[in-house]
Amino acid sequence: MQTTKQKETSFLSVKNLSVEYTSDDEVIHAVNHVSFDLQKGKTFGLVGETGAGKTTIAKAILRILPQPPARIKSGEIFFEGEELLGLTEEKMRKIRGNRISMIFQDPMTALNPIMRVGTQIAEAVRLHENCSRVQSVEKAIEMLEMVGIPGERQREFPHQFSGGMKQRVVIAMALACNPHLLLADEPTTALDVTIQAQVLDMINELKRKNNTSMIMITHDLGVVAQACDDVAVVYAGEIVELGTKEQIFTAPSHPYTLGLFGSLPDIHSDSQRLYPIEGLPPDPSNLPQGCSFHPRCPYATRACSDRQAALADLGDRHLCRCINLEQIQKGGKKP
Amino acid sequence: MGNQTKTVEERTRKESNFRQILHRLQKNKIAMTGLFTIIILIVVAIFAPILMPYDYTEMDMSNMYAKPSLSHFFGCDDLGRDIFSRLLYGARASLSMGIIATLLSTAIGVVIGSAVGYYGGWIDNVVMRVLDIVQAIPGMLLAIAISAALGSGFFNTIMALSIGGIPMTVRLLRGSILSIRNQEYIEAAEKINCSKPRVILKHILPNSIAPLIVSVTMGIGNTILTAASLSYIGLGIQPPMPEWGAMLSAGKTVITRYPHLCVFPGLCIMIVVLAFNMLGDGLRDALDPKLKN
Amino acid sequence: MTLLEVKNLKKYFETPKGTLHAVDDVSFTIEKGKTLGVVGESGCGKSTLGRTIIHLLESSSGQIIFDGEDITHVNKKKLHQINENMQIVFQDPYASLNPRQTVEETVAEPLLISGRFRKKSDLEDETGRLMDLVGIDRRLRLAYPHELDGGRRQRVGIARALSLNPQFIVCDEPVSALDVSIQAQVLNLLQDLQAKQDLTYMFVTHDLSVVRHISHDICVMYLGQIVESSPSKELFTAPLHPYTKALLSAIPSTDIYAPHKRIPLKGEITSPINPKPGCRFAMRCPHACEKCSTPQTVEELLPNHFVACCRGKALNQL
Repeated sequence: MQTTKQKETSFLSVKNLSVEYTSDDEVIHAVNHVSFDLQKGKTFGLVGETGAGKTTIAKAILRILPQPPARIKSGEIFFEGEELLGLTEEKMRKIRGNRISMIFQDPMTALNPIMRVGTQIAEAVRLHENCSRVQSVEKAIEMLEMVGIPGERQREFPHQFSGGMKQRVVIAMALACNPHLLLADEPTTALDVTIQAQVLDMINELKRKNNTSMIMITHDLGVVAQACDDVAVVYAGEIVELGTKEQIFTAPSHPYTLGLFGSLPDIHSDSQRLYPIEGLPPDPSNLPQGCSFHPRCPYATRACSDRQAALADLGDRHLCRCINLEQIQKGGKKP
Repeated sequence: MGNQTKTVEERTRKESNFRQILHRLQKNKIAMTGLFTIIILIVVAIFAPILMPYDYTEMDMSNMYAKPSLSHFFGCDDLGRDIFSRLLYGARASLSMGIIATLLSTAIGVVIGSAVGYYGGWIDNVVMRVLDIVQAIPGMLLAIAISAALGSGFFNTIMALSIGGIPMTVRLLRGSILSIRNQEYIEAAEKINCSKPRVILKHILPNSIAPLIVSVTMGIGNTILTAASLSYIGLGIQPPMPEWGAMLSAGKTVITRYPHLCVFPGLCIMIVVLAFNMLGDGLRDALDPKLKN
Repeated sequence: MTLLEVKNLKKYFETPKGTLHAVDDVSFTIEKGKTLGVVGESGCGKSTLGRTIIHLLESSSGQIIFDGEDITHVNKKKLHQINENMQIVFQDPYASLNPRQTVEETVAEPLLISGRFRKKSDLEDETGRLMDLVGIDRRLRLAYPHELDGGRRQRVGIARALSLNPQFIVCDEPVSALDVSIQAQVLNLLQDLQAKQDLTYMFVTHDLSVVRHISHDICVMYLGQIVESSPSKELFTAPLHPYTKALLSAIPSTDIYAPHKRIPLKGEITSPINPKPGCRFAMRCPHACEKCSTPQTVEELLPNHFVACCRGKALNQL
């Protein structure tokens, strides 16, 4: 699918990643054959609901999945030319927090409550850069100012900050070592909408300044529209649709993507009724046969339960995993 | 979610939490070993009179300090009494005191703890300060003091043993209740016109019982140890009623020459306490549904 | 007809640092069969407002008039009656159900307590009817909460709220903790139930897009006060208060070709403890002036559209 030339310029390349979790008697297929590429300086959105496997993908890249119960069944992850899954833990530790950084969803639990905020950032700096304690604290103050927090507050503890400010501290920590790749797992979900807007703006600004590449995990299509360049829609551990933001928003093709857009309450529309996707997300230890979405799909045919669809190219590298695409497009979108 | 023998939809009888917990417990081999051991000990205690090869008071001075042999499995004590028989019969005293005293202190503790935890206010303050004072006295010393005051004997010893356990139970339950009290389902219960006693019985207690069950099983082991200690220093159960601690005490003067008088009672105490602790640990894991999921 | 009227309601909490003005002089009415959406960000007091109205919390001052009757201060017996008329659906489907009760027991409990269903078969029938009403498979009656997903748990909570046949239900962020596709299902359910049973809702949420769909009227709260209230659609087409405008502009738009201009707000939300008199939003408002430090009056700038802003008229050219 990719030429060697493309592979070399691809900043991040995930190939055929599969992750499963085993608990005493069941196997949970969290991620199934996921492949995507990220170009340098761009933001890649992973969209899906709870349990779709998006966080697992990010944690696999950073290699912070607890193994056991998790197990990377297959796949390769190329980052700036290096294959991450094959690296020793020692080498990986040099990359983590340094060249690849992660922001987690809940700012309340991402900060150590008994350590001063400045110390936490300085610690991250000292781990990866050869500098003195004084220098690392200076860097910490610089980072705090960059995220809009007065430098003197570095002596304060996390509980003295509000939710939005805590998240900004977390971002400061993640960006302290100037990572090349930032993994952001629902960074604004826990925040009020006005604060969310501030934080998103800030992330975008910092990204632009430092040419940081980013993977943004979210379930909010509005956030995707604002922050992402390319988007993958994830369902039951698989990518069901992949393309640029424009392709996904102007021509959503997979029934799940269509369903997501359809079930969104829209502040601009007058419609009185919402059109939810029928049914429930599948049990990851017991995925449906064939296409994982077919039990909930309004366009499902008999063939859908027989086989798994491969990702088909709709043109211009807009990929979609559905065998009924032609019929769906011919019949027009269902309301 | 879909891993019971029947799916959730196919269930016809209410599958009580109890069975789910039992199922989880069964998988824990250590806990099952502990449970099994306890069951054997209880059976032994109940059927002791039948199982004893000799009567526990039967003296045979020719066999004084006899070493373990085929006729006397664990040997004989200073009065020629068969140690094995005395151990079997002594299981009754040790187990029953341990279990009854612990259950008694738990029952009292639950009543006080739930009242104090749910109603709070000045009652909470007063009761907790009283318990602070009780807990400030080392458990052993407290048991000794009460035992000395009440005198020896089966029921007096049980009283002495149970008082020390009350503060901990109260604290455990009160802590549980405080954390549950502000949960939304308690608010919901009040909103559907649940009376306060009903809220406590149906909503609060069932959800705060888990740490209590664990503390009860571990408590039994501890109580047996304390009972043995009381007998060791001459309080508690009096001879000729055999009790493991008393037997241990009787053998202490000749421990270098005839160790078997101490070894076997000591082993029994160790095994029973270990068994209860193993079961308690297993129960704690089995009762925490979050661990499984 | 007006089912609920709230006049100058206040709920204050005493804290070691001072008095927390959680709900400060709030007034509104709700017509029977309609939904009032109460919108605001964290700390605005909307949840406290809901809980105070239905007596989960005691109000500090003001009046609550339900169906023509003043229910601000009630004794235990009256409270029992009120509970049969006013109910609540909670936000967290995990914390709002007793983990040790089956679905059946949770839904049947209010029926049991009310004493209206003495025969076991009657009780079972009514429980089944309620489960059908909210769309839970009857076969799930013996399931425990941890065996159900968030959407189903929330339906159980709704069934429980409906069991006493209330007229008024406070929905406290009922879909915020649910996945997007399930949110839509539950919202549709709430709307259907309103039509079927002539229910009146107070729908509390921070999510503006959700509130537009389900509400007839909306009021926007900030730090314990209502800053704007109007019919639902008009709030979005013609927002008048600076906070409402900023709030609407902050919602990330899914229209990638016409992103609206965001109105940036300065700083963070101020503390509701011992607040200074005057507009509480002034510190962050791009249009603040001197008059903002005096208490704001509520003006009806458009028909049925109320705003608490001294510059409201001027800024909107009315």
